[in-house]
Amino acid sequence: MRTITKKPEVLAPAGTLEKLKTAIRYGADAVYIGGNEFSLRRRAGNFTIDEMKEGIAFAKAHDAKVYVAANMVTHEHDAKGAGEFFRSVRDIGIDAVIVSDPALIEICATEAEGLPIHLSTQASATNYETLNFWKEEGLERVVLAREVSMDEIREIRENTDVELEVFIHGAMCISYSGRCVLSNHMSMRDANRGGCSQSCRWKYDLFEVDSSNQRQSLLGGEPTEDFSMSAVDMSMIHHIPDLVEAGVDSLKIEGRMKSIHYVSTVSNVYRQAIDTYCKDPDNYEFNPAWEEELWKVAQRELATGFYYGIPDESQQLFGKRRKIPVHRFIGQVLDYDEETGIATIEQRNNFGIGDEIEFYGPGFTHLYQKVEQMWDEKGEPIDRAPHPMMIVKMKVDAPVKKYDMMRKKR
Amino acid sequence: MIELIATAESIDQAEQLLEAGVDKLYIGEEAFGLRLPESFTLDEIAHITDKAHAKGKEICVAVNAIMHNDRIKTVIPYLKELEKIKVDEITVGDPGVIHLINKNEINIPYIYDAQTMVTSANQINFWVKRGAKGAVLARELPYEELKEMRKQVTVPLEILVYGATCIHQSLRPLVQNYVNFTKQNTKTDKDAGLFVSEKKDPETHYSVYEDINGTHIFATDDVNLLPFLDQLVETGLTTWKLDGIFTKGESFVEIAKLFVRAKEAFINKEWSNDLMKSLQEKLESLHPEERSMSAGFYTMDPSDVK
Repeated sequence: MRTITKKPEVLAPAGTLEKLKTAIRYGADAVYIGGNEFSLRRRAGNFTIDEMKEGIAFAKAHDAKVYVAANMVTHEHDAKGAGEFFRSVRDIGIDAVIVSDPALIEICATEAEGLPIHLSTQASATNYETLNFWKEEGLERVVLAREVSMDEIREIRENTDVELEVFIHGAMCISYSGRCVLSNHMSMRDANRGGCSQSCRWKYDLFEVDSSNQRQSLLGGEPTEDFSMSAVDMSMIHHIPDLVEAGVDSLKIEGRMKSIHYVSTVSNVYRQAIDTYCKDPDNYEFNPAWEEELWKVAQRELATGFYYGIPDESQQLFGKRRKIPVHRFIGQVLDYDEETGIATIEQRNNFGIGDEIEFYGPGFTHLYQKVEQMWDEKGEPIDRAPHPMMIVKMKVDAPVKKYDMMRKKR
Repeated sequence: MIELIATAESIDQAEQLLEAGVDKLYIGEEAFGLRLPESFTLDEIAHITDKAHAKGKEICVAVNAIMHNDRIKTVIPYLKELEKIKVDEITVGDPGVIHLINKNEINIPYIYDAQTMVTSANQINFWVKRGAKGAVLARELPYEELKEMRKQVTVPLEILVYGATCIHQSLRPLVQNYVNFTKQNTKTDKDAGLFVSEKKDPETHYSVYEDINGTHIFATDDVNLLPFLDQLVETGLTTWKLDGIFTKGESFVEIAKLFVRAKEAFINKEWSNDLMKSLQEKLESLHPEERSMSAGFYTMDPSDVK
């Protein structure tokens, strides 16, 4: 039986230390985080050096890697302190930094020798000669532009041996990354320095100007619709075999701003799909439960971006949105007592007796349970758990594990 | 030394621009170059290059596209042709092209032009160390930053002094997708003259069109730095680009003449506020009616941008 031993890495976003640990528990081989400086997600709960140290220790204990995104495009003075920053992350054991700005690449290469550099997708690398250029510059890995197709990835793989990383899930820039400054011009917020105001998701008029300099709007089509550039999100869950066979080294999930509910769910699904395929590729069958699971944390429709052709209108957010049933994250299991069958839970959202709950855990385990009995920390029976982070106990019919998550359909 | 670079939309216009006194023409083919007024074949490029050289002027060819595999394969043959034609320089934005130039010993000087990504002296110096002979500055740079950059870079830094500025490039056919969804039948190319405006700011008018490089969106105001030319000269930012992508024919040539006049005035030390005002007035009358102009980010304070 054929098996695949060189599995691609599942690379998950980690906006906080809790998300880092969650991603790794749920199957991520590596996580990427933001430093306090030089990161493109200024509001994504970036890590202090001490938090990074704790994250690295946790990752090492689980045989996982931690990358730091330092992917801003610097202006004068922005790169101040970059050498020290790169040295400090190198010295605490960060596995690589993700950079797009050549000035930062040079600083990192010369002032923090030995720290592997990954080229960020922000640099829009779209061909193998570009990858060869960066390999000769000493980079270990290139994150490909999201505009690269599956056929192009195969050809790139044949023509370069630098590591390849591609996005497989999450929200996407509508532009070539880095080549959009709508936000700068419309909101005075620099898209390439962490200030993106997501102008591409706004509504616009589309018009032409007639010979007497009058605007003639083109919004009068059928159906009526404002002009927008907003795209649906990406999911490659149906195409894991293609990604593995193309020889991609790392499969990246977008979303440093997203919740632990999202991070755990998406990491769990892709871990499962990749393991299933690599274990027995010739008898691989797609499991529809994976896709159902992804829909539980989806914000938009899901599609395959540029992998199988230039995206048409079906991959843009026009028209009435399909109703995506919201699954609310309600808690995390802290402990389970096998003798009594009672789970201790940290509440994250209001739930109570009568609710139909879904427990899910690493390894794609699921348990469906109706809440019948609950107690507060003092052992007093309660009907509902209304307070954020409150500790509750509840009876479950089958075993659950520490770090299992709980959600319910709203 | 002030250098005036202008785009050209036809062989005729190219000749008129040379006649008008621009120093260098910026032309190219859309398979390799971004957002050109016209896509010229190699024969046309050769023809224009001969005309320019006969007048002691230069040609810069745009090779600044983001290349996918299919196109990167054709770059070397293209560059070899340009070498034969003896074009004076090219712009390049894709590091893959730089890799190939260095590997194949292509002897055409290249100017680094990665559009929005050229925002610091250290970035430019990175490319200078790898052979770049100059760089095209991003348009999102306030004067204070330009001044700092100029001090730290020895090669020419090209700055847009007149014309439209691109603020978004997507490989998706964003307008065609919209047109398809709303079942309309509208052309989406450059000649269709389409704009978008923000719902919350209806005065805005961002030009938008599609070509083989995707969808391009331009700032609501075209750049005009005529009122600040003295400051540019003083700072040493003297490589001036005029972009005629949305300013057609004769008007663009006449506008080029205004900048030639300005250049001469600096050379002859006769630049004055009055001359600036009179040139500015003429420029406003020649600029397309449906378009507006401003100094863009040039006059902003760096701290205005978050």
